[in-house]
Amino acid sequence: MREKLIQYSILSSILFLFWVIFSGKLDVKHLMIGAVTALVIAWICSSFLQVSSVTTPGIPVKEYAVFNLPYLKLFPYLGWLLWELVKANVDVALLVLNPQMPISPQIFTFKKTMSNPVAHMILANSITLTPGTITVDVQEDVYTIHALTESAALSLAPLAGEGDMPARVGRLFNE
Amino acid sequence: MRILAIFFLMGGFFFTTVAALGVIRFPDFYTRLHAAGKGDTLGIALSITGLALYHGFNLVSLKLMFIVFFIFLANPIGTHVLSGAAYKTGIRPWTGKGE
Repeated sequence: MREKLIQYSILSSILFLFWVIFSGKLDVKHLMIGAVTALVIAWICSSFLQVSSVTTPGIPVKEYAVFNLPYLKLFPYLGWLLWELVKANVDVALLVLNPQMPISPQIFTFKKTMSNPVAHMILANSITLTPGTITVDVQEDVYTIHALTESAALSLAPLAGEGDMPARVGRLFNE
Repeated sequence: MRILAIFFLMGGFFFTTVAALGVIRFPDFYTRLHAAGKGDTLGIALSITGLALYHGFNLVSLKLMFIVFFIFLANPIGTHVLSGAAYKTGIRPWTGKGE
């Protein structure tokens, strides 16, 4: 219950902050409209604020709070992701501009066991943003990936061990 | 600052153009999504960051940076939903080996 209240206040404060920034007005009337709207929207969304863990046989289902993220570790990760995004784009641009177009598209699956759904969301989004790979489907903890080239597929899911990006997201959430 | 803004804008235009070219040149649906999903994300992000830099630091540039943030969150989700729908309806990916 206490956790729920904390999540609720975080969401309504974020919404209220957005209102202030986007409206740019600081008089009492606008602030009050913003505060009421933020509280009502957060109330409507309150059932989304807790997500249950990805089911793995033998482990009891846990509830995760959406805003309960490792923020300190998240920012270095975002910086790394931004740099990867630039590299990905240069790669794709080179492929597009190459007259022979040396691509070998393929669909493959790999498994990454994590119980927090938010971690899965971050990993899936990161995969879509970076070198030549798109997340096609995520079922429980099995990822279906479409890769543009052989090397992109191998960098994400090497023949032995696990790729750089799943390992990083795993470290991010200590799983 | 203005030179940096121009640099960012040119980068944005370059990547958006390459994304459009990629959509035309790639052989099938999934590979085209690669071009559209990634090229557009960075292209639009760079263009808007350039505009924000050109404007200097004030409320408008802060709003522009929020747009960049939302594009970063929303664009991969859109790409993912499109490819997932294509995969479920049974569109086979092009492999370059023929049928």
